[in-house]
Formats: sequence, structure tokens, C-alpha cells
Amino acid sequence: MSETTPQAHQLHDADGNVVHDKPWIIRTYSGHSSARASNELYRANLKAGQTGLSIAFDLATQCGYDSDDPIARPEVGKVGVPINSLDDFELLFDQIPIEQMNTSMTINSTAMWLLALYVALARERGIDTKQLNGTTQNDLIKEYLARGTYIFPPAESLRIIAEMYEFCLHEIPAWNASNICSYHLQEAAATPTQELAFALANAISLLDLLKERGRFSVEEFERFVGRISFLVNAGIRFIEEMCKMRAFSEMWEDITANRYGVKNPKFRRFRYGVQVNSLGLTEAQPENNAWRILIEALGVTLSRDARARAVQLPTWNEALSLPRPWDQQWALRLQQILAYETDLLEYPDLFDGSPVIASKVAQLRADAQREIDSIMDMGGVVPAIESGYMKSALVRSMSERVSAINTGEQIVVGLNKWTEGIPTPLLSGDDGGIFKVDDAAAHETIDNLERTRASRDPERAKNAIAALQAAARSGESMMEPSIECALARVTTGEWAGALREVFGEYRPATGVEGQQLGLEADRVDQLRSRVAQLADRIGHRPRIVVGKPGLDGHSNGAEVIAVSARHVGFDVVYAGIRLSPEEIVRSAVEEDADVIGASVLSGSHIELARQILAQLDSFGARDRIALVFGGIIPPDDIHTLEEMGVRRVFTPADYELIDIMEQIVDVIEAGAAEEAALSAR
Amino acid sequence: MTAVSAPAPAALEELVEGGRRLEPHAVGRLISLFQDRRTEAAASRQAVLKMLDERGRAHDAVVIGVTGTPGSGKSTLLGRVGAELLRADDKLTVAILAIDPSSPISGGALLGDRTRMRTTDDPRLFFRSEAADAELGGLSPSSFQVCRLLSRLFDCVIVETVGIGQSEGDIRHLADHVYLVVAPLGGDELQLMKAGIIEIPDSFVVNKCDEPAAKQTHRQLRATLWLARPDDGDQLPVFLTSAKTGEGIEALRDAFATQIAAGRVTDPGARDRYFFERWVKDEWGRAGLVHLHGPLGGASTLLGDDGDLDRASAAFNKSFQDMIGARA
Repeated sequence: MSETTPQAHQLHDADGNVVHDKPWIIRTYSGHSSARASNELYRANLKAGQTGLSIAFDLATQCGYDSDDPIARPEVGKVGVPINSLDDFELLFDQIPIEQMNTSMTINSTAMWLLALYVALARERGIDTKQLNGTTQNDLIKEYLARGTYIFPPAESLRIIAEMYEFCLHEIPAWNASNICSYHLQEAAATPTQELAFALANAISLLDLLKERGRFSVEEFERFVGRISFLVNAGIRFIEEMCKMRAFSEMWEDITANRYGVKNPKFRRFRYGVQVNSLGLTEAQPENNAWRILIEALGVTLSRDARARAVQLPTWNEALSLPRPWDQQWALRLQQILAYETDLLEYPDLFDGSPVIASKVAQLRADAQREIDSIMDMGGVVPAIESGYMKSALVRSMSERVSAINTGEQIVVGLNKWTEGIPTPLLSGDDGGIFKVDDAAAHETIDNLERTRASRDPERAKNAIAALQAAARSGESMMEPSIECALARVTTGEWAGALREVFGEYRPATGVEGQQLGLEADRVDQLRSRVAQLADRIGHRPRIVVGKPGLDGHSNGAEVIAVSARHVGFDVVYAGIRLSPEEIVRSAVEEDADVIGASVLSGSHIELARQILAQLDSFGARDRIALVFGGIIPPDDIHTLEEMGVRRVFTPADYELIDIMEQIVDVIEAGAAEEAALSAR
Repeated sequence: MTAVSAPAPAALEELVEGGRRLEPHAVGRLISLFQDRRTEAAASRQAVLKMLDERGRAHDAVVIGVTGTPGSGKSTLLGRVGAELLRADDKLTVAILAIDPSSPISGGALLGDRTRMRTTDDPRLFFRSEAADAELGGLSPSSFQVCRLLSRLFDCVIVETVGIGQSEGDIRHLADHVYLVVAPLGGDELQLMKAGIIEIPDSFVVNKCDEPAAKQTHRQLRATLWLARPDDGDQLPVFLTSAKTGEGIEALRDAFATQIAAGRVTDPGARDRYFFERWVKDEWGRAGLVHLHGPLGGASTLLGDDGDLDRASAAFNKSFQDMIGARA
């Protein structure tokens, strides 16, 4: 091989020298317990060779509540780090040079607040904000559709996003003010076509809005388009996923060039990060997830032209609990091996010219374009959200997926095929292979919060909040007032509360209508007649209240349960999300329900069960209303919940909806028998 | 498994006392008793009504019917108005009964209004969902029974239904006042309202009046009323409300409050007769109605002075079955 003749399989720089690509940004999504504990974790990860920070916030921070708010209390430090004020940020970034970091924050409805805290931290440290680099996720559309941590109505949410872009363009030019997420749509079972179409329609609506606000020059608008970035998912069908990434790039090129007339090719590039799929990870034989994650990582790195700029991998045990530091290290090593041991980064694009790939990409593009056109015909994403159109489409995809797994049409190894196996030794350590949050950490956080409130200048805090509300009402930018709030030690709950007063809180369409469940017809018929007989015995159709206590907003599982229950003949009261234990019990008591079905994915199931049972006691309804739980619940906790008085616990291993329904009917029948025995005595 | 028997007298006593104190659990259970389809439930219902009437209920609640198509925002609106009613009068108690359609295939129902309705945790506001047992909405067969109970416990009972199908006549007879809630919509859709639905309500609400189309809908509604109800169309109140901006909520609350203060305006005897006849028709069809109006001498004879539907139904069943038996 000649050193001087360029070869087609090599990469060359402008002078013809053979070069390798630089690896993507390697991250792990992390944060837990408290600002101090997370700081230790970040510093350890950076030492282990991680090249960026990706911060997970707890649900209270994401939903705009202080850690000592009653609805927040069970969630503090569970799925991420709790941040109440600038004092917590100082702890979180202690000894970390933020001017050298690429910091990604998974934060949405309170994104403006977290960015304000970051800017305030930089100002207090005397760092020029132009040196800051990173991303606030800040995509509310997918919150309404899939993730559920929205606060404000769509129009107000889009205004906040727009104001952040307008602020960043001058003050923090390297900051991605938002990150259009198709990741969560796939987690809600979006097909590749839906993922492409919904994410691009979302980006178009944002760009249209910013254009309409008209606060940019033409040159600035081009730069602004260049700042739009995406967070994409990658599932197990990795060839199709790679084609999806190529389709994304091509369609974005088309949209930016033709719809917005962007001239500079640099600003038309499709920039994306990836978090690979968690939906397909199984609780059954969890060690298999390690292979799934590897294959999914290939889907977003193999093709150079559609390679991710930053990759985060889930951990093998994500379906069981929150990851331990070791699990995260193992996931980090996978990326390092792929980037540094293999020859992946030495080649130009491997798939250019492949007729198979080109045809698949063309098909995805055509399908996605049709879907985008129909959303645009509705008037864009906001009307498509408010009418429930997009949500219903996703709920339908989810029930089709569940149905395909139920019938065995879609094979999931270890779950519906080859289910017998040797138990995994990975779960046999002292900690049972899962992570437990130290309850003491929440006390530390709340102590800090109380100290902040006691030591700040109350006058300055009050004025800062008043100025924020004034800006919110007048339509002026809320960014500088938010930074002043941060500096004045206003708290997360106060910032969000002030804007709640002005904007109100949003209640979305639920998407529970129009689902196809694909349940086995025979078993449904049998169960329906059992339900009818039960109704004759107890004098009413069995009634179930389905709801999500706590702050975690992943509502699709609860919605599928609600629809299945109606399908077999229950009267279903769907109580919605973000309920306090008091609210869910009050609903059940007023409706005289036979059973409460509570869905919890955040890891707070023990606390929430305790509170719900205590509420049932205080209403005098403990004997009357049975409680069942569903969610990501480790085996040890199932036992604890059952001992507390929870009648059934369903986990991702219970994927057969009809089994779940039969067991709920069992619970009601047992309750009715007890009651009959009591009144006969 | 044995059938679940009706509550023992002591338990019933406890429920009634709890109900009078508006304890949510007791009210919830009592409502179930008034929905109960088993024959043995009738005796318990009679006992409950007797206890309540003996213990000197001070008021006979006004029933306000609110109908409107899905998407008109009536649940959110009622949540706001209910909370405002409590705020304006710190003694007032309100029950809301929200009726949703059932699936014709499984018989099950999805009762979703709670997600929009609940704006207060004040025990003076009680909310209950009910399945209509019919695809297109309207009242449930037991709605009348539940209202008999609730109007003895609360100062005001608001019944919310999807206003299509058979419901208009039912709600007219159940409620003292009927409101129709519409959202801003296109002219064609408003045309549909000319038939039937527009002839019943005493008052109209154009909700979501913050939306641009609201003005036009208001104008069209006025024009339609003028055509469809030449006698009273001009005088009928039309409220413009927005739960989002709060506009018009107070005016609607004041209208409710005035009606609550004025007390019942419908003739309870006519209401009892209507729902008894409806029950006869549901159970025994036209033959039942012929039997009721012929040999039995009409609904009033069986209902008696206290209008007890359960006793009248039992008497009718016996008479009708005897008649069939005699013919066979």
C-alpha cells in the first residue's frame, strides 16, 4: 500500500495525510441523592475518562418544586440530583471547571431556571459566559407526548424556549438552548417514521415561531438554525435505525435549505446526540441487555455520515432499578472500547452507494414526509398536541407493540422466547445488583434548603420574584430576571410557583381513547363473562381508579392499563398523573372504587404505598378498597409492598395485559368474599 | 362464592350518619347502594331514605343539569364554578355527578372527568362519576336514584352529561335548570344543534371565549335561538366563559347561586312519574306502558305520596308478571 496515493477506504486531511476521526463525546447520564454525592460521582467519572457531563435531575427539580414540598418529598434524589438554589449548584460543581466542560442538562419545564443558575454560577466565579458550553434539553413537546414533566401550557412553554435561544445567541453562543428529542418518543413506542416526523415537525414549529417573533437579523437566524440539535433514540433494529439517522440528516438538509433558505452548509448540519433505547431492555434475564445496548450503539456509530456527536448508554440493569456507579462504569467502557480499540474511526462512510440502504432511507423519508405534511395541515405541533392527535398516535403504537409481544409475533429473547435459563450471577452481590438511594441524603438537601432560605436577603429575593412575574406578564424576556432570582437565592419551587401564578398549569389530552390492544379474544370473552357475573354479585360493575401518584409523568403504562380494564368490562376512573396520595385516595373513596391501580416508575413506590395506605386508613376505607401497584420494582421491594398490604405488584415482567386483568379481578373477588363473610357473621 | 348481601341495619345507620356529615367514604358507599342493581338493595334504599327524611333534612337540593358535547370544556368549567361557589358561600355544599358513555361491546366505561374537574380538596365539594350504560351518553338508569339521595345530602346537585342521544328529555325532567355548554365551532356544526338539543336548555354557555371564533359562535347561537325558539329565544341567557382567563366565571357562578337560593322549581311528582315510566319502558317495553296506564291506572297510583320508585317498581313487577302468568 502506497503512503502517498489516497485510498478510498482511508480518511485524509486537506494535505492528503491519512487521519482518523475524533471520537464522539462520551457521557453517562447521572446524578442522584444530593448535590454533594453527585459532585463526587462526576469527579470520579471525569477521572475515569468521561469527556462531558450529563446531569440527571430529580423529579421535584424537573417539575418545579422545592425538596420539602409534600408532593416532592418521596422523590427527592431518586432519579437524579435535587437542586433547590444556587447554593446547591455551588456544591454540584465544586472543583469542576465549568468553563472547560461540555455540560448537558436533562431539564425541560424548568430549563430556563437551571440555565439561569448555571450563568449565575459563572458570574459568581468570574467566568465569561461566552466560554460556557453545553445543552439544556428543554423540549416541551415530547414532555406533553411522552415524558410528562411539563408545567405550563404549550404556547407559554414555547415562549420560554424562544427567549432562551434569543438570550444564548449573544450571551452563550456555544450553548444549545434546546435539544429536540425524538428519544422519548421511541421510548413511548414511536415507530421510526413517527420519530422522524414528530421530531422534525417539532423543530419546524420552533423555527417558525422564532422567525415570527422577528428578533433576529437574517444572519443571526442562520446561526440560530445552526444551533438546533437533536437527541435521538436507537433501538434494536439497528440497520433500520442507522437508516433513520441518514434520513434525519437528509431531511434536515432539505428543511433548512428550502424552507428556511439557510446558505451556510455548516448551519444545515444535522447535529445529534444519542441515548440508546431503554424500552426494549428487559427485567427478565437482564444480562442480555448488555448485548442489546452494544448492538444499539453500533446503529448510531457505524455510518460516518450519520454518526452521533455524543452518546449516552443506559445500563444493563435499568429495568430493575437506578444504576450503581459500577454499572455506569461498565457502560462507559463499552463506548471506550468501540471508539479506541476498534478501527471504526479510520474509515469514510461504509454505506455510501449501497442500493439497499439508499432504498430504505428513501422509504423512511417518504413516509415521514407524509406525516409531517398532515401535522402541518393541522396547524403545526401545538394544535396536534392540544387535539390529542400525536398522543393518540403514540398510544396506538405502544398498544401495537405490546400486542405483537403478547402474540409472539415480535420475539424478545428471555421474555417471550427462550425464557428458561440459568439465573444471572450479576444479581447475587451484597446489594442485589441494584442501587438504593440513601434516605439520609434527602435530609441533607432539605437542611441546605432551609439554610439558604434563612441566610438570604429576603428583600432582594422578593423583588427578584416580582420582577420575574412582571416580565412574564409584559412579554419581556424572563432570562435576566431569572438570573437575578438565582443570585438572590430564590428557590426552584419559588421560581416555578411565580410563573405558575401567571401562566397557569397545563392539563393535557390523555390519549386513552382509540387503542387497539390485541388481546386474545377467547380469554377476553371469558374474563368479560367473569366480570359480568361479579357485577351481578356485588351490585355494580367492578370499579378501578387508575392513576400515577408522585411526580413521574410516564403515563403510557397507566393508560394501557386503564384501557385494558375498560376492554374487559370495568368502569375505569382515570385519575391522571402527578397526584398526591391524598388526591388518588379521595378519588377512590368518592367513586367507591373496588381497587386502586397505582403506577410508579421513579423508584418511590415504598414511600408512596405507605402514604396511600395511610390515607385509606384516614378515610376509613382500608378494608373496602384494595391497592395494586405497577412499575419498575425490585424483587425485594415487592415483598415489602405485599407485607405492607399492597395486594398485587406488577412489574415489566408482567407484560401480558390479560394476566394483569385476571389478577385484578381475583383481588376484587377475594375482597367481595371477605365482605360477604363479614356481613354474614 | 356467595352473593354479597346488603349492609346490616347497624352498618346502614352508620353510613347514613356519615353521609349526613358528608364524609366522603359514607357518601361514596351510599351512592353505590342507590346504583345497586340487585333486588335486595331496594329495601336498604328505602331504609336510607326513611332515615334521612326522619332526621329532618333542612333543604331539598336544587338540581342543575349541564350538557355539552365532548370537548366543550364543561368539566373544567364546572370545576372552576364549583370552587367559586364554595368560595362565595362558606356554608354551601355541592355534589357533582358526571355521566360518561359506556362501551357497547364490553359494557365498561372510561370515566375521565376527574382529571379536569378537581380544583379544590374542600370536602364541601363531592364529585362522582357514573357510567351511562349506553353508547351515546345521556343519563344512567340509576342517575335518578342517585339524585334522590344526593338532593337529601347536599345543597346543590350538578348533573353533567354528554348532550346527545336520548338524554335531553331525561335531563329536562331530572333538573330544575338546564345549561348547554358549547365551544367555539364552525357554522355547519352549529346547524346540527337546531334539531332537538337546542329546545331544552334554559341557559347557554359559550365556553373557551378567549378563542377568536367565540364571537361568531355567540352570534350564530343567538340567531339560531331566535329561529328555533321564537317564544323565548330572545330572553334566554347566554354566558361567555373561559376557564383559562377566568372571564365570565363569576357571572355563571352568580347565576347558579341565585338558582340555588330560589330552591326547587320543578314538580317532584312529575319527575317521579317520568322516571318511573322510563323504568317501566326500559324493563318491559311498550307492553309494560300499556299495562301501567290501563289496568294499573297510571304511574301516580303506584308511586303514592312519597314517590318511592323502588316500591312502585316492585309492585309493577308483581302485577305485570301476574298478568303474564294469568294469560299463560
